[in-house]
Amino acid sequence: MGNGDFDLSEEDIKVFLDEAEEQLQVMETGFLALEKEGADPEQLQAIFRAAHTLKGSSATLGHQKMTVVTHALENVLDKLRKGKLAVTTTLVDTLFACLDVLGTYRDEIATGQDSGVDPAEILARLAALDSGETGENASARDDAADQGARPAGQGAAFPWQSLEPAEKARVQEALAMGLQPVACRIQFDQDSAMPSVRAYQALLVLADHGEVVRSWPSQQEVEADQVTDHLDVLLLTSDSPAEIRTGLAQVPEIEVAWIGPAKGLGAEASQGADAEREPEERRAPEPAREEASSGNGGGGRNGRYGRTVRVDVDLLDNLMNLVGELVIDRTRLYQVLTRLEAERAGDEVTQVMSSALAHISRMTSALQDEIQRARMLPLENLFRKFPRMVRDLAQKLGKDLQLIIRGEETELDRSVIEEISDPLMHLLRNAVDHGIEPPEERVRKGKARTGTILLEASHEENHIIIVIEDDGRGIDPEQVRAAAVRKGLLSEEAARRMPDSEVINLIWSPGFSTTDKVSDVSGRGVGLDVVQKNIEKLNGSVEIRTQVDKGTRFRVKLPLTLAIIRALQVSLEGTIYCIPLNSVVEIDRIPVSDIQTVRQREVFVKRGQVIPLLRLAEVFDVQRPEGYEEPEELYVVIVSVMGRQAGIVVDDLIGEGDVVIKPLGKFIGDVPGIAGATIMGDGDVAIILDIPGLLESLPADQTHSETAWVS
Amino acid sequence: MAVQERQEAITQLVVFQLGPELYGADIAVVREVCPLQRVTRVPRTPAYVEGVTNLRGRVIPVVDLRRRLGLPAGPATPSTRIAVAELDGEQVGMIVDAVLEVARVPEKAIEPSGSLVHGVDRQYVRGVAHVHDRLVILLDLAQVLRNAQRKVV
Repeated sequence: MGNGDFDLSEEDIKVFLDEAEEQLQVMETGFLALEKEGADPEQLQAIFRAAHTLKGSSATLGHQKMTVVTHALENVLDKLRKGKLAVTTTLVDTLFACLDVLGTYRDEIATGQDSGVDPAEILARLAALDSGETGENASARDDAADQGARPAGQGAAFPWQSLEPAEKARVQEALAMGLQPVACRIQFDQDSAMPSVRAYQALLVLADHGEVVRSWPSQQEVEADQVTDHLDVLLLTSDSPAEIRTGLAQVPEIEVAWIGPAKGLGAEASQGADAEREPEERRAPEPAREEASSGNGGGGRNGRYGRTVRVDVDLLDNLMNLVGELVIDRTRLYQVLTRLEAERAGDEVTQVMSSALAHISRMTSALQDEIQRARMLPLENLFRKFPRMVRDLAQKLGKDLQLIIRGEETELDRSVIEEISDPLMHLLRNAVDHGIEPPEERVRKGKARTGTILLEASHEENHIIIVIEDDGRGIDPEQVRAAAVRKGLLSEEAARRMPDSEVINLIWSPGFSTTDKVSDVSGRGVGLDVVQKNIEKLNGSVEIRTQVDKGTRFRVKLPLTLAIIRALQVSLEGTIYCIPLNSVVEIDRIPVSDIQTVRQREVFVKRGQVIPLLRLAEVFDVQRPEGYEEPEELYVVIVSVMGRQAGIVVDDLIGEGDVVIKPLGKFIGDVPGIAGATIMGDGDVAIILDIPGLLESLPADQTHSETAWVS
Repeated sequence: MAVQERQEAITQLVVFQLGPELYGADIAVVREVCPLQRVTRVPRTPAYVEGVTNLRGRVIPVVDLRRRLGLPAGPATPSTRIAVAELDGEQVGMIVDAVLEVARVPEKAIEPSGSLVHGVDRQYVRGVAHVHDRLVILLDLAQVLRNAQRKVV
């Protein structure tokens, strides 16, 4: 069989990479928490599990360097977990360095190219930590120590030893036939109401993929409802673990805790590749066994990953296009239906077609919505790489600071997230490098020793706002003036006359930098002008507010592009408009006779407040058909933005729902009062109103609450 | 193919009709032609912006090409089409009275428009060509659509 054991498909590698990414992320988050909050048992358990899982899967993959490093890491983590090591800066630094090495190895697997990174250095550093523990030689520990992490009363390893001789013979036979023994552990969701049913289903699926030699619990036990929280299976198959995993994905409420070649069945002797990994193998006889222990404590893991799958974005794009085609065809069918109805109304065929089309219509819309949602990612995916970066940078520059992240659940289309990464990174670096003062300076100024950087995302109307704020030294307009003059951007005279607020904005000029020393942090010639340009490329904007010794605040405003908002749908002369629900205060129906005129403007009084009316038909210059008569009661949507209220008069209310904002395109460009468009369920395009923009067209004094002169 | 290459510089034109005249646009720019479908008016835009429409899940602006070129407006007929142009990754639909054919015109046969073209702003015209003995006015869509952007923004 030779290297058959490592005959990995691309799919296997992909699965590994995805998993590795997850584990590395868990570790990174964990290490950061470790540094900030000290050793929290639960956190440590999570990190340990991640390292453990990675060790198992890298061993399966045969990436020995990764296995060796994760193993050493695991030793250190184990001691931490048991309180035999204290959390120190050196320790955390080493852990991060280790993480970097592992990241490099993951890339090696991804690209198939050797990075040339020797594990020796990091192994030495880890070993130094490890030996910090008195007496015991870490490498002498065996995995029995892991038993402590396992729930009592459960065997950690796959119970091969309990195979019947006939079963062992069957395995040998299968090996000879070129089948692989595959071990699989299936973990049931903790809240699964019927694990035995799930176990039975899983066994059925596995039987489709090959021959189930034996399962623990056995099929009889499963049928008798005697199951614990997991099911171990030994399968003889020619399918890859990934294929089996895919098959198992159809069974609800389970998670494949581990799947891979089963070792320890006396088959290794025939598989040369295993022998090469002998030293490692002795400590970790089977990845299966390793992994088994991580699966046991995996309640949290189930909760976090058990219900998600990864999907290529291209696939989503394709799906989106396909649905688009469906929408068009649906529209066509409707046209046919309209003709049918005109020609043969009441006909049975027409009726059937009508109801079928209505159903197709709903389904298509639902499909479209769901796929669009699937493209959205919480900003968390981007934000989570910042703590590490900020931490490293702060340490390098001798800054003492904390990074506060808020609103990471805010969703943004994936493509925007990708594009915004670099500009945000740059602004954060700026905050660490130029914003936050060294601790001594802060203390001298009477500020808290620890600086604070806030990274916050939020929805605002039809935009995403990302704020990066520091409580550092701020930007001194005088320094900016001096620098601008020195760099020849302004004459001395012009600089003197320019107001401070404008002077600050000079920092966006190409080639402008107030620090003369070139630090390798943020002074490499890539200036804020590039940041601004990149943000504007996304149709966004960035503003700065700063105060000397108080801090600096960058406010990045981004369009949602594909972001979904809840909107009230109203109609006006047969056309549907969407009003973002977050600015809607209430909906009212007022008699025309209640409308008063104040300073030539229509207003009405609601609970003592004067609310100006904004007739959408007039604002948008909508042509009314001849003989149009105004109804006696008007639908008014009362909106409020930043304390300004207005009542928008519309013809009718349609309902509310989630809409996906799409830009009108560069050809039309920005239209005041319009945020974009959306595609409705029937394929028609509806216009989304930009309420702040609309209110701006009202005189300011009209939109403030003017209670005083009413009563 | 080799034969074409030797003759070189053949322009493929999408030939469409606006009123009584024939117009042509480079096929590389015209992405597709679709039947006239529902277009939603966008308030506060110039008259030649017909609105926006749903092209397979994408919202694209639609221009009334007659108005855009300063020609008299005409009614929609069963042969009315939306020709979708793509420039710099942005798609724009153009309402035309009919799409007739894709014609192959040697680059040499394209003449400067001179005084032949009436009514249409000269900056939008790349030249004229004869196709089946009829005069086809070649539009420079980059110009037609870019200028529109500038005016609106």
